[in-house]
Amino acid sequence: MRLLLVEDDRMIGESLRSALRLAGHAVDWVRDASAAHATLGSERFDLVLLDLGLPPGSGPSTTPPLRDGLDVLRALRARRDATPVIVLTARDARGDKVAGLDAGADDYLVKPFELDELNARIRAVSRRHSGRAETTLAHAGVVLDPATRQVTRDGEPVLLSAREFAVLEALMARPGALLSRAQLEDRLYGWGEEIESNAVSVYIHQLRRKLGADFIRNVRGVGYCVGTVPADPA
Amino acid sequence: MTSIRVRLLLSLLAMLALAAALIGAVTYRSVLAETEVLFDYQLRQMALTLRDQGEIAPDQVGTLTDEQLDFVVQIWTVDGRIMYASRRHPELPARALLGFADVKAGPQVWRTFSVATRDKVIQVAQPVQIRQRLAANAALRSVAPLLAIAPLMALGIWWLAARALAPLQRVAAGVRQRDEQSLAALPTGGLPDEVAPLVQALNALLQRLGASLDAQRAFVADAAHELRSPLTALKLQLQLLLRAPDDMARGAAVEALAAGIDRAARLVEQLLTLARNEPGAPPIALESVDLSELVREALADARAYAASRDSALAFDGGPGCVVRGERSALTALVRNLIDNAVRYSPRESRIDVNVCREGSKVVLRVDDPGPGIPLEDRGRVFDRFYRRSASDEDGTGLGLAIVRSVADRHGAALALEKAPAGGLRVTLRFDAATADQATVVAAAAAHPPSHVAGARADAT
Repeated sequence: MRLLLVEDDRMIGESLRSALRLAGHAVDWVRDASAAHATLGSERFDLVLLDLGLPPGSGPSTTPPLRDGLDVLRALRARRDATPVIVLTARDARGDKVAGLDAGADDYLVKPFELDELNARIRAVSRRHSGRAETTLAHAGVVLDPATRQVTRDGEPVLLSAREFAVLEALMARPGALLSRAQLEDRLYGWGEEIESNAVSVYIHQLRRKLGADFIRNVRGVGYCVGTVPADPA
Repeated sequence: MTSIRVRLLLSLLAMLALAAALIGAVTYRSVLAETEVLFDYQLRQMALTLRDQGEIAPDQVGTLTDEQLDFVVQIWTVDGRIMYASRRHPELPARALLGFADVKAGPQVWRTFSVATRDKVIQVAQPVQIRQRLAANAALRSVAPLLAIAPLMALGIWWLAARALAPLQRVAAGVRQRDEQSLAALPTGGLPDEVAPLVQALNALLQRLGASLDAQRAFVADAAHELRSPLTALKLQLQLLLRAPDDMARGAAVEALAAGIDRAARLVEQLLTLARNEPGAPPIALESVDLSELVREALADARAYAASRDSALAFDGGPGCVVRGERSALTALVRNLIDNAVRYSPRESRIDVNVCREGSKVVLRVDDPGPGIPLEDRGRVFDRFYRRSASDEDGTGLGLAIVRSVADRHGAALALEKAPAGGLRVTLRFDAATADQATVVAAAAAHPPSHVAGARADAT
């Protein structure tokens, strides 16, 4: 998944970014409210991890002004942007939690927290966001479990690399939906990470080899999908 | 005996007793004096009547011999033979002193009046005791009403004291109801003038306590909140270390964890320094401190950090810069100023630290070539945990708060200005120590031979 991490503390930000990458996510990290606002306005993310105590930053002034993470969240929801948001904050008062959730947060996690819990909440929120009740993704005999990061084909375990898993997860999250090469690259690489040329093609090739040649379809010039290709790919 | 009621009651009873005794004594004396005159007159008239009469009439004999009568009449011939005695009184001497006389006869004292004619001596005598008894009775009668109303007055005082002290009881009950959480002021309405100042003083104390408690609570809440960030970082760094897939990642995680621990330790240390210097902290033990010397030592400690940023620390310390203060607090102040200057200046900067005497003041200046602090932020930068931006530097947000607390406790004026080099200039003005306080330090400083007052030291 492609995540936006909004966190002003350098150490927490660095550690979280490393941990989330380790969990197979592409992570972009901004450190103040106006940068978060600008990034969310221009790019799409699968999920946002939002700290509340943020410096305003030096971006262009907005109305209302962005004083902290809560303002960023309100502005996001005011734009009718439904990107799932998990608030990560040291503010543990009940009033803060209520305010955070009412401002449009999908979940609220108080610092300090366990990485396991954060990962589980990320999975839960993205599950709810895509309207799934079941915890695994399944299609044509292939079952992907985001929690254990295991994939089986007809009950037999399939070994995948982290990046292969990320590509497969993105494709299986919405069977039938076409994802372009750029969209897949977004899910694989955060800002500043060097994108290996032709990487997506390589991962698709590997996945087809392990899961069956026709498991992932390719619509030339448009992208890839799992399941039935839409009638009119254009 | 600490009860006001009991004390009032006993005082009243004592005063009543004293008044009764006084009144009794005065009445006794005056009645005694009056009866003296009256009875003496009577004695004299009786004696003179007997003399003029010549002999005692028979009807008088009965009266005179009446046992009830206090008077005793004796008549002698000139040669001392008794001619007549109304009653036999062996104690009474068989001679008479002419005129009035007090005669002791047996257990009794008699008042006598004697008169002489050519052939006989007439004496009329009366026991003095009679007069005393009369006076005592009169005194008792005059005191009696006082003694009768004493219990009533005691009851009255008891009740009045209870009424007068009721507001105190109410105040006590009000104070008792308050716990450490509710420091609301006590009501002052309807209190007597004597109790109101006590309650007002109590309220003022409650208010000060409340403010101090609020400050403490805010400090603890702030501290707890701020400790969360380094703890969150530590927790993440540790989990990252546990999940590290290879040696390279593990090495990086260990490094990050060490940095996280350093940061948490520094925050705790800064918090403690601030707590020690917050208003309300125990008073400082003043000593004479040579600020030039202290800054020189602090600069020596800061050199490693400055060197890590390729920055230079320049120092100019003048002589006679002795102030009264607490050495460790002043060291914390100077360290934080230098640390801030290095931290928020670009790499390869030159930080100028200057200590000099200006009249009765010792002035410490720290100039840096950093971005400075805009005018509108200068009031807030002294707030604890206030950080101006998410810069890459891991400041604790406590440096300037510590500087201000220490400056306040030392009565030093603190000012932020634009430095000539464009960055921030922090100026602190301390009161210079008086001459005799300063000599103590000079004598102490004379021992280490390395000390040269006014030396100029540049360090890189």
